[in-house]
Formats: sequence, C-alpha cells, structure tokens
Amino acid sequence: MSKWIVETNQLTKKLGGKAVVSDVNLRIKEGDIYGFLGPNGAGKTTTIRMLLGLAKPTYGHVHIFGHELARKRIEILRKVGSLVEYPSFYGHLTAYDNLEAVRRLLDVPRSRIDQVLEVVRLTKEARRAVKGYSLGMKQRLGIATALLGQPQLLVLDEPTNGLDPAGILEIRELIKRMPQEHGVTILVSSHLLSEIDQMANRVGIITKGKMIFQDETQVLRQQARSRIQLAVSEPEEAWRMLLAHGYHVDWDRQQLTAELTDDKAVATMVAALVQHEFAVYRVQEESASLEQIFLNMTGGEGSL
Amino acid sequence: MRGILASELLKIRGKMVWFLVVLGPVGVILLQAVNFGLRYDYLTDQYADDLWGGLIGNVVTLALPTLLIGIAILASMAAGIEHQTNAWKQLLALPVSRSAVFAGKALLHVLLLFVSCTLMLIGTLALGFVLGFDAGAIPYGRLAELVYYPFLAALPLMVLQVWLSITMANQAVPLTVGIIGMIVGMFGSRFDDWVPYKWPHLINAAGEPLYSVACGIGLGVVLLLIGMLQFAGKDVK
Ligand SMILES: Nc1ncnc2c1ncn2[C@@H]1O[C@H](COP(=O)(O)OP(=O)(O)OP(=O)(O)O)[C@@H](O)[C@H]1O
Ligand SMILES: [Mg+2]
Repeated sequence: MSKWIVETNQLTKKLGGKAVVSDVNLRIKEGDIYGFLGPNGAGKTTTIRMLLGLAKPTYGHVHIFGHELARKRIEILRKVGSLVEYPSFYGHLTAYDNLEAVRRLLDVPRSRIDQVLEVVRLTKEARRAVKGYSLGMKQRLGIATALLGQPQLLVLDEPTNGLDPAGILEIRELIKRMPQEHGVTILVSSHLLSEIDQMANRVGIITKGKMIFQDETQVLRQQARSRIQLAVSEPEEAWRMLLAHGYHVDWDRQQLTAELTDDKAVATMVAALVQHEFAVYRVQEESASLEQIFLNMTGGEGSL
Repeated sequence: MRGILASELLKIRGKMVWFLVVLGPVGVILLQAVNFGLRYDYLTDQYADDLWGGLIGNVVTLALPTLLIGIAILASMAAGIEHQTNAWKQLLALPVSRSAVFAGKALLHVLLLFVSCTLMLIGTLALGFVLGFDAGAIPYGRLAELVYYPFLAALPLMVLQVWLSITMANQAVPLTVGIIGMIVGMFGSRFDDWVPYKWPHLINAAGEPLYSVACGIGLGVVLLLIGMLQFAGKDVK
C-alpha cells in the first residue's frame, strides 16, 4: 500500500470540449490538512467531485486509501465525509431529521447524531426546520453531516464560504483540531491563501485546471522573502551603477529593489550610492505577502 | 436497500406527499358518493342485478385518470426533494450504490401508489355499505382485480415518470409528460394493444386482462433496469 491517503494520476476532466481539470497529480498523506487553493473557476470543485465519484474522470485515476476509486467506490466512501460546494440539506426537515436521513444510509448508531450536532454547536437548534437557518448554520450542518460516518478522510469544499469572521474562525479551529483528536486527514479547498495558510500543513495550488504548486506550506512561506526597496535620485543611473558593481538589483521603471542580503551588504550598497553622489531618500524592507505570491503564480487571477 | 427506503420515507415527511396519496382515492370515492347519492334510484335500477359491479365500474372510470396524474405528481415531488437544494451530490457521495438509490426512489413511488390503490379498494367497500348494498354479495375477487391489475399494468408509466423526474432538474417536462399521459390514457382503450397507455384499461385483443398486467410488469422491470444503469453512469451536478 502506498503512503498516500489520496493520490491522483493525470486526473483530467473535459467539459464542453475544454479541459477543466488537466493532469492533476494530487498527493495527500495521512494526518495532513491539505489546502487546495485556486482562484474561482480553477477546477477545485470539479476535482473534488471526481474524488467522490460524483463525476467520472475523462482520463486518469483516483486512488484513496490505496484503492482505486472506480473499483472500490462504496468501500472507500464509507470512510469519507464530504461537503461539496454549498451544503445540501432537506429544507422542510429539521437538522436532526436531515442527519437521520443520512444516518439511515450509513448505518451508524443514532447517538452519532447528537455527537456531531454537539461538535458544530447546533444542538439547541436541531429541532427547527433547516429552511429557516442562516447560511452559517447550514454550513455547520453540512460539516456535521460530513462527520456523521466517523470518516478517516474529510473533503471540505470551501467550508467557510459565506461565514462571518467569527464563523470562519470557529470552522478553522474545528478543522485544525480534527487530525489531532480523531486522526482524520482533511482536504480543504479555498480561494483564499490566507485561510489555507492558517490551517494547512500542505498546499496544492491549481489554476486553469493545472496544478502549479504542491508542497509543504512552509516552502510556500519561504518564497515570501523580503526585499529592500531603495528610493534615490536618478534611480535608473543608480541601478546601472549598482549592477556594474555586482549588486543584485531590479529596476522596473518605478522602483529600485534589491534582494535582501545581510546587513553589511545593505550598508556597503548604500555607501556605494552615496559615494557616487546619489541622494538616498529612503531604504526600506518590503516583504512580499503570500497573497502577492499567489497572484503571481496564478497570473493575476487571484483572490479578491 | 432497507436503509434507502427508510431514508426516503423520512424525507417525504411534511411534504404533502401522504396527503396526496390519501386525497386521490378519497376524491374519487366522494365523487362517486355524490354520483350515487344524486342518482340513487336511477343507478340502482340500472345495475339492479349487479349493484357492486356497477359501483366498481364507476369507481374505476374515475380512478384511472387519477392514478395516471397521481403517478406524475408523486414522482415529481419525490425527486423535487433532492433537486430543490441540489441534495443529489450529498446523497450520491455516501456509500450507497447509485442503482440502489434509483431503485429506492422507484420502490417508494410504487409503494405510495399501492397504498393509494388499497385506500381506493377500502373506500369502494365503504361506499357500497353506506349505499346499503348487500354485504354478502361483495365480489372480492373482481374488486381486487379492478384495483390492482391497472396498478400493475401502469408500472412502466411509474418507472418512466420517476426516471424523468430524477433526470431532469426542471420538473415542467415530466409533469407535462404526465398530464399528456393522463389525457392520452383516458382514451387509452382505443389504441393498439402495444401502447402502454392502453394497458391499465386491461383491454386487449385476446380479452385477457392478465396479458395487460404481464406486459406492464415486464416493461416496468425492463425500464427500471435501464433507468438504474443510466443513473449509475451519469455525472452528478
Ligand atoms: N458542465 C460544464 N460545462 C462546461 N464547463 C464547465 C461545466 N461545469 C464547470 N465548468 C467549468 O469548469 C471550470 C472549473 O469549475 P469549478 O467549479 O471546478 O471551479 P472551482 O475551482 O471550484 O471555482 P470556485 O472557486 O468558483 O468554486 C469553470 O471554468 C467552469 O466554467
Ligand atoms: Mg468550487
């Protein structure tokens, strides 16, 4: 058995002649909180549908728990809980009956319903028809439904969609607790890097159907290195002069920036500028935000 | 399969489904009560030598179109529960076989209509008693045949409506098919024997109602299997 809980190979889905998901090789280890990141329309939901057997890949394979999904769908799904896109529910039923309708298919003890209601803090509202719920409550009910079968893999597609900051925080804490307390592996999608950054230990970034980055969140953070921004008189000449002296500097016709080196190197660079009679107005550190990196990677079609 | 059916039964709660299941037969019986009440002397005179047969015949004339429209409406309501909040994706991401989900919906539908038909039978008996027909002369066999044979012969129409309602998110199409089906079905006795809308009338060249029933069961099972296969292979929205 492979070490991956989820492994896809060349996963591809064509819709209307267009490859909406193309050659995606997803790798998720046991205990991971895997952040699946991409701008709107990148193909996150489509990929997740294929992971759950809701859509058939045009090409490629999905292995979950070491078994091929196409062959062992029901056995695999027994250990998977999911929330796809927006929560599904039966509006005319109460939260309790919604869970009961699912429970009858999963064949888990009735006590599980109270447990999951407790986890998402809906116990008090459980006897009300769901159509009267706020979006946040529906989202929490969706998560409760996903947890009902005591899954080993939890697939959550934008679980914080439409929640207020307090709701987002609550869901995030819930997700972060899950692997430690229940040994669950989690795939969580989002179009917000900051959100993924705060909970995931591994990240996959998808854009226009292609996976463009997949590694530890740590690696992504390292790319958020700082740079030094220099404001000087005649920046273009200053740029030429610094290049000629072997400094790594960039001039984009507006800003002169240097890669961050140690303090001494910055000092000699400033000294060189002064020596050549450039007026130095400002020397400041600028740290590229993760958002900026994400935007660069996805070619500007980033989050809002 | 038991789990699926139990889940389906829970889901139709509070959706007027049971109300319609009761409304159909109650409506037919009440109309016949009015019919026999207003024209008591005329009708009892006309059916003097077979009072029960006359009553059953009248009930069946109204019951057939009611059954046909009931098939369409109930199928649409049961599928609508999933379409409304797009619950299909949640249902089908559970460890259940797709074909079993389809079969479960069809089975629920057949079950609901069976209850309806049984209520029709009980209602007919009750009306007969109220009208003072001789309890000793009840033609139980014929009564059961005239209620359950059309029900069985209509199996393909049930599967068809369930399949249309499940496949199409917009229920206008299946409901239109159902309404047209009801109108066509009312004149069903004039069609060729192969037309399924004729089968519930139990009329065929051989003069053997069981042929219509057998055709209904046969085609019903075939359609069910096709529907299960088609549903199992389809991507879920
Ligand atoms: N049935 C379809 N036919 C053609 N294109 C489709 C179909 N369904 C989805 N798409 C396209 O597939 C692409 C990916 O959609 P998907 O829902 O997977 O994106 P996503 O990453 O989940 O986006 P979001 O963040 O908005 O949820 C979109 O560009 C969408 O237009
Ligand atoms: Mg999506």
